[in-house]
Amino acid sequence: MTPIVARAKARASRLVPMPRVPRLALILLAVVAALPLVGNAYILSVLIKVGLHAVIAMGLVLLTGLAGQVSLGQGVFFGTGAYVSALLVLKTGVSPWLALPLAAATSGLLAAPIGRAILRLKGIIVAGVTLTVNLIFFYLVVSLSGLTGGATGLSQIPRLEYPRIMPYTTFVFYVVWLIAVVCLILSVNIAASRVGRALKSVNLLGGGSEDTAQVLGIDVMHFKVAAYIVAAVFAGVAGSVYAHYTSVIEPHTFSVQTSVLVAIMVILGGVTNPWGAIVGSALIVGLTEFLREVAPIVLGGPTGAYELVAYGVVLVATLLFLPSGLCSLPARIEEWRRGRRL
Amino acid sequence: MISGLTLGCIYAALGLGLFVVYGVTRVLNLAQGEFVMLGGMLTVSFCAMGVPLAGAIVLAVVVTVISGAALYVLVIRPARNASGATLAFLTVGFAYAIEGITLLVWGWEYRSLTNFLGSSSIHLWGATIFGQAPWVVGMTVLMVVGLFFFFGRTMVGKALRACADEPLGARSVGISIEKMALLSFLMAAGLGAIAGATITPLTMTAYNIGIPLTIKGLLAAFVGGLNRAEGVILGGLLVGFAEALSAGLMPTGYNDAIALAFLLLVFLVRPHGLLPSRGGAG
Repeated sequence: MTPIVARAKARASRLVPMPRVPRLALILLAVVAALPLVGNAYILSVLIKVGLHAVIAMGLVLLTGLAGQVSLGQGVFFGTGAYVSALLVLKTGVSPWLALPLAAATSGLLAAPIGRAILRLKGIIVAGVTLTVNLIFFYLVVSLSGLTGGATGLSQIPRLEYPRIMPYTTFVFYVVWLIAVVCLILSVNIAASRVGRALKSVNLLGGGSEDTAQVLGIDVMHFKVAAYIVAAVFAGVAGSVYAHYTSVIEPHTFSVQTSVLVAIMVILGGVTNPWGAIVGSALIVGLTEFLREVAPIVLGGPTGAYELVAYGVVLVATLLFLPSGLCSLPARIEEWRRGRRL
Repeated sequence: MISGLTLGCIYAALGLGLFVVYGVTRVLNLAQGEFVMLGGMLTVSFCAMGVPLAGAIVLAVVVTVISGAALYVLVIRPARNASGATLAFLTVGFAYAIEGITLLVWGWEYRSLTNFLGSSSIHLWGATIFGQAPWVVGMTVLMVVGLFFFFGRTMVGKALRACADEPLGARSVGISIEKMALLSFLMAAGLGAIAGATITPLTMTAYNIGIPLTIKGLLAAFVGGLNRAEGVILGGLLVGFAEALSAGLMPTGYNDAIALAFLLLVFLVRPHGLLPSRGGAG
């Protein structure tokens, strides 16, 4: 073997590294497997919400935490996944299992031109533009009522085919969290790969610089768009599963409010850590459920008000006191204890 | 045309609020729409308590300005060295809190005010327009004239502009950047509240109108260029006309999407605004 071939082989093996599987992810998987044995249907339905939002949020972690692009428009791809998947099954009668990857791919395909157009912009302006794109998407879905059912949305979306040995909720719970763990492992590996390092160099938030990266020969635009597409595919998968889980979708679910909420989840958990997506999603969904069920009974007042205040307070408090998110809490406590001992 | 002008004036007023804060502090204030909402809600409430309209508006502006001060002192100032994204999200948090509190206090119902002069419509050159429309246009013109006078002729206004152009230089000649930043938030809240009170008879108000208004204001500011007041006004008018025109030409529903998409396209083609940037300000 000539040295050149050997070197090429070595390089190839470096380009396709062994996937890292964090031990915590395996523990999570074990917990997930056991949960339906103890949890009731309500708890499982809440955990499904947590899982779905966590998957969308993980996409945003890749986009924001790695590539430094703030998106307030993930609802677009969540919605695309849901509507494409539902329509495919309703109009052509294909299996939801086939519609799922097709819908996710459509989300990714839609993200490519949008990403190309808007990621040329820099900084916080991107957030404003993605917000606008989300609003356009919402209006479009409402007005294309012949196809999308307009403001009332689509109903009677068929379920995913499942083995009848367990309730549908339990089955969806397993599916959602299996997807979440797969996305988590993917995210961790992307972050550690050559692509991840390139993305980090683009990230202004993490001390990188686009200009420096460009000078070093990194095709900045290419990587930013790639991150945008991956995030869209994650959201599309979540959207498809959501449609076949609830069997009813309406445009409001994919509005600006949802997109902003996903961004808040990412900030709460920690922008740079895929685990943060799960932590943030659990916190926000848990808080929402708790306040929706308990607060109006105890304190009176309309449903929905307390959670808005809570989102605001939690978001401001996190940004002011723990800007790296809840996932940085153990490190911060460790730091503080070491500081006290000295 | 008239409805386009009216809408345009509303968005220009929103854009001006965004511009005042962004120009001085580089904070993208995503709570600007909430100031407008608060201004409208408070005016309705004070009127319902029996305060005459003019007094109600003044009281509403005062309360909203206090909320603007709260935004700066409690939320923005503690993090003033943070990145633009962090600051923008802090204002999102504030917006959520304001929305929730409004929902708790006022409920989810839409509220309206009677027109300022009582008459519900005016006939003008063969067209029927809402009686409130001239007030909205007049308010925006007054705001624009007031702001130009303030920034161009008064000492405080010039100091604000100095902060925007050259923070370090401004500090070295004895201008307190913090006071100026606070002032910019107070002004944005005040402008928002006046706009809110004026548009309520036309558009009604509810706890959740803030975010859509902010987005329209942002679009106005983006299209026109957030660096210049003239640009923001032009952008606002363009957004208003695009919306009114598409409402006339296309079936309902599509028009919003198409108007927004068109404006976004304009922005993507001219990311620095329609007007040429003044030297150094960009």
